[in-house]
Amino acid sequence: MATLAATSAQAEIRVGILHSLTGTMAISETTLRDVMLMLIEQQNAAGGLLGEEIVPVVVDGASDWPTFAERTRDLIAVEEVDVIFCCWTSSSRKAILPVAEELNTMVFYPVQYEGEESSLNVFYTGAAPNQQAIPAVDYFLEELGVESFALLGTDYVYPRTTNRILEQYLLDAGIPQENIFVNYTPFGHSDWSSIVADVVALGETGEQVGVISTINGDANVGFYTELAAQEVSADDIPVVAFSVGEEELAGLDTGPLEGHLAAWNYFQSAESELNDEFIANWHAFTGDDTRVTNDPMEAHYIGFQMWVQAVEAAGTTDIDAVREEMYGLQVPNLTGGIAEMLPNHHLTKPVLIGEIRADGQFDIISQTEPVPGDAWTDYLEESAVLVSDWPGLGCGMYNTETETCVQLESNY
Amino acid sequence: MGFFALLSAALLCLAPGIARAQDSLQALLQQSTELVTDASRRTVGEVLAILVESGLPEVPLFLETWAAREVYFRDADGMFYYVEDADADPLVLIDITSGEAVGEVGSREIDQLLPNGGVRRVIAGALVQFQLSAEDPAARLAALEAIDDSPDESHLPLVSERLELEEDPQVRAAVEVLLPRLIIAFAEDETERVEAIESLAGNISLAARATLNPLLATTREVAQIVPDDANVARILEPGRDIGTIEAYVLLAEAELVPPLVSADQIRAVLEANIEGTEVGGVQVATLNTDDARAAAYAALVADGVVEAAPDADAIAAALESYVIYDTYREPSQAVTDAAANTLAGIETRVGFFEALDLSLDGLSLASIYFLAAIGLAITFGVMGVINMAHGEFIMMGAYTGFVVQSYVANETLSIAIAIPLAFVVTFAAGVAMERSVIRWLYHRPLETLLATFGISIALQQIVRQIFGPLTQPLTPPDWLAGSVELNDVVSISSIRVAIFILGAIFFVLLLLVLNKTRLGLEVRAVTQNPAMASAMGINPDRINMLTFGLGSGIAGIAGVAIGLFAQVVPDLGANYIVQSFMTVVVGGVGNIFGTLAGAALIGFLQKGIEWLNPSNTLAAQTYMILFVILFIQFRPRGIIALRGRAAGD
Repeated sequence: MATLAATSAQAEIRVGILHSLTGTMAISETTLRDVMLMLIEQQNAAGGLLGEEIVPVVVDGASDWPTFAERTRDLIAVEEVDVIFCCWTSSSRKAILPVAEELNTMVFYPVQYEGEESSLNVFYTGAAPNQQAIPAVDYFLEELGVESFALLGTDYVYPRTTNRILEQYLLDAGIPQENIFVNYTPFGHSDWSSIVADVVALGETGEQVGVISTINGDANVGFYTELAAQEVSADDIPVVAFSVGEEELAGLDTGPLEGHLAAWNYFQSAESELNDEFIANWHAFTGDDTRVTNDPMEAHYIGFQMWVQAVEAAGTTDIDAVREEMYGLQVPNLTGGIAEMLPNHHLTKPVLIGEIRADGQFDIISQTEPVPGDAWTDYLEESAVLVSDWPGLGCGMYNTETETCVQLESNY
Repeated sequence: MGFFALLSAALLCLAPGIARAQDSLQALLQQSTELVTDASRRTVGEVLAILVESGLPEVPLFLETWAAREVYFRDADGMFYYVEDADADPLVLIDITSGEAVGEVGSREIDQLLPNGGVRRVIAGALVQFQLSAEDPAARLAALEAIDDSPDESHLPLVSERLELEEDPQVRAAVEVLLPRLIIAFAEDETERVEAIESLAGNISLAARATLNPLLATTREVAQIVPDDANVARILEPGRDIGTIEAYVLLAEAELVPPLVSADQIRAVLEANIEGTEVGGVQVATLNTDDARAAAYAALVADGVVEAAPDADAIAAALESYVIYDTYREPSQAVTDAAANTLAGIETRVGFFEALDLSLDGLSLASIYFLAAIGLAITFGVMGVINMAHGEFIMMGAYTGFVVQSYVANETLSIAIAIPLAFVVTFAAGVAMERSVIRWLYHRPLETLLATFGISIALQQIVRQIFGPLTQPLTPPDWLAGSVELNDVVSISSIRVAIFILGAIFFVLLLLVLNKTRLGLEVRAVTQNPAMASAMGINPDRINMLTFGLGSGIAGIAGVAIGLFAQVVPDLGANYIVQSFMTVVVGGVGNIFGTLAGAALIGFLQKGIEWLNPSNTLAAQTYMILFVILFIQFRPRGIIALRGRAAGD
C-alpha cells in the first residue's frame, strides 16, 4: 500500500504555491494563492495536464525572507514540486534565488520589480522598470508637463533601485538635479505632514510638481490622507503610484485618492472578453462579487498558461525540457494583446496608466503597445552594457562590451 | 416640438453615418476625430482652436462636457454623443447639437472619452473666454482657476476687464489675487510691473513665490566684454565663484577656446598613432604612467601630428580674456531688482514660518508619542513590568473604534462611543493578562519580556484571523478631516490638533488620579514598597491588577486616536512599541512628567533630524536611536530621575 501511494503521488503533477499567508505581506499575497488555486482547479476541470491531475501544494512564507528560502527547499526536496509560483517582495525573491538555482527548479515571479536581475531559474511575469516606471515618467513629462519631481519611496530594494534608475532618466531628460526631491520612509510610515509640506514647497519656483510614488503597503493610506488634509488635489500635484492597485484600494476611503494615477500592465476595468471571463470566474471561485482582480493576478494567469503550454509541448514536466519550450511562447493577456516570453525570461507587456475613481477602480487614460521587458536597464551606465539571453548566449548577465558572461548565478 | 424631436431621432437612427449641416459641431469634430479621441496635451490645441474659432453656440457646453469626461464616441459611425445617465446600460445617446435623445446603445459598443489631466487643463484654458463672462459666479471662479494653472498673455486684458465689472465679492477677491501675477508676467509697462511686484511684498503664499521666482531665472553666458543691454545678475570670477577647469570648459563649450584633452583622450590619440613599437619616438611598453603618456603626446605635438592640449598658462590666459556672467532671462533691470528685493523680504518671513511649522510638527509628533507611551509609563514606569504587548493594546483600541464605526454610521457619535468602549475592552484585556500571566512573573523581568512578547504575536495573529490582513478604515468625522491653515507655509491637520488636546487631557487626568485619589496613593505605596503597603492594609494584588488595567485602558484610547490618522492594521501597535519604550526610558522611569519630557525630546529631535536630512526619514530614526543610547549613558535614569525613597531601590 505504502509503495502504491508513493508511486501515485509521483505520477501527479505538483505545483508549489509559496506566498505569505500571515504577516504584513499577507494583505497582498493571499489573493495570489487564491488565484493560483482557481487556475489549477480550472485546468483540472479541463482534463488536467498530460492526462494527470495537477495538485497544488500551498506553503506560507510568513512575510519573513529566510522562511521563504526554507520553504522553497521544502517544496523542492520534500514535496517534489515541478514548478513554484512565488513571492511578492523583491527581498523574498532574492532570498529564494540561491535555493532555486542550487536545486534547479522553475519559479514564476508575478510582481512588478526593479530589474537588474535575470536568473536561469526564474521567469519574471511582472513588469521590469521599462514596462512601468519609465513609461509613467514619460507620461508625466509629455502629458502633464511636470518639471519638478518628488520621488517618494519605502526604504527597501525595489524603491531604491527604481528611483536610482528614474533619477538618471530624469537627468538625461534635462530635468536639473535641484528639481528632483528623493525621500525614503520606513514600512508602515504614518507621519507624512512634513514630507507632504516639502513636496508642496517644490512648487515655489512656479514649476509643475509631480510625485512618483514607490510607497508600499499601508503607508499609502496615511500619505494620501495627508495630501487631502493639506488640500492638495490631483490637479495641483498628480501622484503616480507603482504599488497601489485595486486590491490595495479595496476597503479604503478612496475619496482622497480620486484623480491620482497608477501605472500597471493590467486594470480590472480593462475591456476585453477574456478579462470579463476571468473576473466572472474569479467571482464564482471566491463566491464574492466584490473581490477585485489586479495586475499580479494577471501575471500569475499568464505565467500559469505559459507553463501549461510549455509542459504540453515538452510532453514532460522535466525542468530543462519545459524551459526550452518557454522561449517565444505567446499567450493572450487579459487587456487584449499578446504576451510573449523573451529570451531574457521577461514578457512583453502593454503599459496602462489609470486614474483612480471614487469606486476604487481605475479609468484607463493611456495604453501603449506591448513593450518588451528589459532585465538590465539602459539608463544606468553600469548595466547599459549588460544583456540577458539564456537560449542564445546561455547567460543572464552578458557584457556586450567585453563579450563575456559576467556570472551565471544570481548571487548579486 | 415633441414630434420634431421624435422625427430627428428617428432620422438619426436610420442614417447615423450622415453628418448634418457642413458647419455643425459634429462635422468639425469629424475633421479631426483622432485628435479628440486620443487627445494629447501637445496636440489638442489644434482642435480647440478650430472649435473656438467656429463660434458655434454649443462649443462651450461641448468643451465642459468633454473635460468632465461625459462625451462618448461610437466606433461604428464615428460620431460623438453625450449620454443621459452614464451608469445606465444600455446608454441613452444624446445628440451633441440638439441635445435630444437619438437612440440607445450597449456600454461596450461605445467608448467614453477620458481626456487626461494635461488635456483637461488645456481645455479649461480654452473655456476661460466663455466662462469669464458667464452668469454663474462658480463658472467665473473656475475660469480664474484655469488661468491660475496655466497663465497666458491673452488672459491679461480679460482679467483686468473683469476687475472693472466684477460684483461678486468672492470672484473679485480671486481677480485681485490673480491680476498682479498676470501683470508681472505679461504687462508691457515697466512701472506697472514694478508696482505689481511691490504689492506682493510680505506675501508668503506659494502663488506669490511662484510668480516672482521665474523672474529671477538666470542663464550663464560667456563673452569678451559684457554686452550693454544684458541684465546681469552677477559676474563670476574663476577660482572663486567657479572652478578654473569648470570655467574653461564653459569657454570651450562656447567654442571660444580649444577644448581640454583628458587622460582617456590622450591614450586614444596615442593608440591611433602607434608606429611599430613606438609612439612619437617613445617605446609603447614604457607608457604606463600619465606622465610618460603626456611626454609622448608632447612629442606628437612637436611633430605637428596633433594639436597641443591647453596647459595651465593657456587656461589662465583664456580666462583672463573672457568674462563669465549670469544674466536674467527677464530683460528689464528695474523688474529684476524689484523682484529680488521683494523676494528677499518674503524668504525671511517664509524662513520664520517654516521654523514655526517645524515646531508645530515636532509638537504634534511629541503628543502622538506621549499618547502612545502614557499607558506604558504606568505599567512599565510605575509598576516596572516590561510589557511587550503594550502595542497590541493600542491596536485593540483602534480595532474597537473600527468595529463601533461599522455599527454606528455617524462618525462623531461613533468616536464618542469608541473612546470609553476602547478603555473598557483594553482594561479588561489588561486585567485578564495581569491575572493570568504577569502576576506570576513579578520580579522576573526576562520571563515577563518573553511571555508578553509571545502574547503580542498571538494577539496580532488572532486579529489578523478575525479581521483579515487588510487595512480597515477608521474615518474621522468631517470636522476633523481638514487642516488648520495659518498660511501657505504653516498648516497642521485638525486630527493632530485633536490628538494634542487628547494628550493634554490625559496628562492632567492621570496626574490627578495618581496624586489626588485614594487609588493613586495606594498605587504609589505599592510600587514603592509592597510589603509595607500591605502591612498598612492595602491589598497589593488588587492594586497591581487595577494599575495594569488602567495603563492598558489608556493604551486602548490612544489606539482610537492613532487609528484615526494612521492605518488600522494588525501590526499597528508594533510600530509604536519601540518609540513608547524609548519615550519612557529617556523621560525617566516612574513618573508622568518624565514621559512628557521624553516625548517632547524625542518628537522635536526626530523632526529636527528629518529637517537636516529630508531625503531619508529612516536615517532620522536611526540617528535618534543612537542619540538615545548616548543619552542613557550619561543620564541612565532619564531626564527626570526620581530621587530618595521614591526611586524605590
